[in-house]
Amino acid sequence: MLITGIRSKPVYAPLQPDLGGRYHVMVGHGVGAGPLARLIGDFRTQAPDALSRTRVWYVTDAAATQDDARSLQAGGVGELRTFDAVDPLLTDLSASLDQALMGTRLYVAGPESFMGLVMRIAHGFNLAQDEVRAEECGSLARRVHCIHCRDTMENVRTNVVECRSCHRWLIVRDHYSRRFAAYMGVMVDAEVPGERPEIKEVFV
Amino acid sequence: MSSSHSDTIPVRVAAIESVTSQIKRFTLEPLRGELPAFSGGSHIIVVMRGQDRVYRNPYSLMSSPQELENYQISVLRCDPSRGGSAFMHEQVRVGTELEIAHPVNLFALAKLARKQLLLAGGIGITPFMAQLHDLRLTRVPYELHYATRSPQHGAYCESLARAEPERVHLYHDCDRHFIDIEGLLSRQPLGTHVYVCGPAGMISRVLDTARALGWPESHVHYEKFAAPPTGEAFDVYLQKSGISVHVPADRSLLEAIEEAGVDAPYLCRGGVCGFCRTDVVGLDGEILHNDHFLSAEEKASGKVIMPCVSRARCRKLALNL
Repeated sequence: MLITGIRSKPVYAPLQPDLGGRYHVMVGHGVGAGPLARLIGDFRTQAPDALSRTRVWYVTDAAATQDDARSLQAGGVGELRTFDAVDPLLTDLSASLDQALMGTRLYVAGPESFMGLVMRIAHGFNLAQDEVRAEECGSLARRVHCIHCRDTMENVRTNVVECRSCHRWLIVRDHYSRRFAAYMGVMVDAEVPGERPEIKEVFV
Repeated sequence: MSSSHSDTIPVRVAAIESVTSQIKRFTLEPLRGELPAFSGGSHIIVVMRGQDRVYRNPYSLMSSPQELENYQISVLRCDPSRGGSAFMHEQVRVGTELEIAHPVNLFALAKLARKQLLLAGGIGITPFMAQLHDLRLTRVPYELHYATRSPQHGAYCESLARAEPERVHLYHDCDRHFIDIEGLLSRQPLGTHVYVCGPAGMISRVLDTARALGWPESHVHYEKFAAPPTGEAFDVYLQKSGISVHVPADRSLLEAIEEAGVDAPYLCRGGVCGFCRTDVVGLDGEILHNDHFLSAEEKASGKVIMPCVSRARCRKLALNL
């Protein structure tokens, strides 16, 4: 198969406290509040002192409920910063990481496309795999990078998609670029124009 | 695999300078052509053919990676010496021909670091000398903190401080002026990598402090070449070769194997790289592990040994060589 069995696809795992860290930065999107609230609860049990050295960045979305944000507010962390759009959150997070010290751990929870954007910032600060943990929840919709015209589309839910810029039909591969924070879309009917697989909603 | 070290490079000693009373700098030039390219932090093995034995010691390259007309190494005369450093200090003259193995880097700079923090103790300055040449070509901020017993014992202190006074910080034990490891490591920006090379005590202090302050392992780098300890003599049976070899008290297991004509793998000869890892197929005593590579579980298993630095206290050790 063209789109599976590719090792660059990120692997996620349920968030757990990394008690080796000295400062903790948590970043969540929408229903990602659930895993973060659970993580904060685990900290309270295992290392309550760490909560004062914990800061949370959270962006609401349509799927998130009032309870999600409230559960974070009740967590007792050092600081909670909430946003209603992703871009301002990312700008604010970047500015904060620029002042952060070694010993910081990053925890991310939310839809994969959001986590990719956070990870891209983390890599810019040279955070390595042993400093970042991520738990996927919410939509599996993908950011897709057209390898032909280099445009990137948000919220792609189908195995095959028409590039919004160059109008080629792309198959969405599992080949993931951490630098672009996106999956690669490759022209699907280059050999026989018009011969395309059936379009299915697969990333929901 | 073993061919990686059998093709040595013949070199001639072009210059010898006394840097301190205990440290000499040797400039090695190739007998023909140019020397292989290397990156800062690399070491070479120098092969010294003494009267009745061969010494193979690792030394960090300290010259600029941008200049391949010659290599420079600094040799601290160890006291007591197992023979290698004394050979370099007493037997080697300008014009002496030696063989060296190709450079290997087990202490490379992380290319994506946002800041580089270099901590040197004593002769541990040498890999950093080459790395500084590399760092000057980047825009990445860096600091060198270099501790020596006294200004007289400190190799290259003056030239380093003169070249980059804002980046080089010197410390001398005689002034009771020590590197504030905890203070330094607790205020580094995210994305910093720390590198330490020096005495064993300094390295373990840095590793312990970094861990306590939450530094992840991926950002902590160290280089510690253990000279092979001497010990009791013992015998080893090399199963694949079908021969028994006596390991005298003053030879390492690897040296004894090599003297018996068996080509065993190695890279660092200092117990750090893991290249010489060898399976133990028989043992009636205990292995004295001296390396920094095997895990505690592997060491306890008695199934594997690093012949470059480790020995055995037994009547019979059998290896898969």
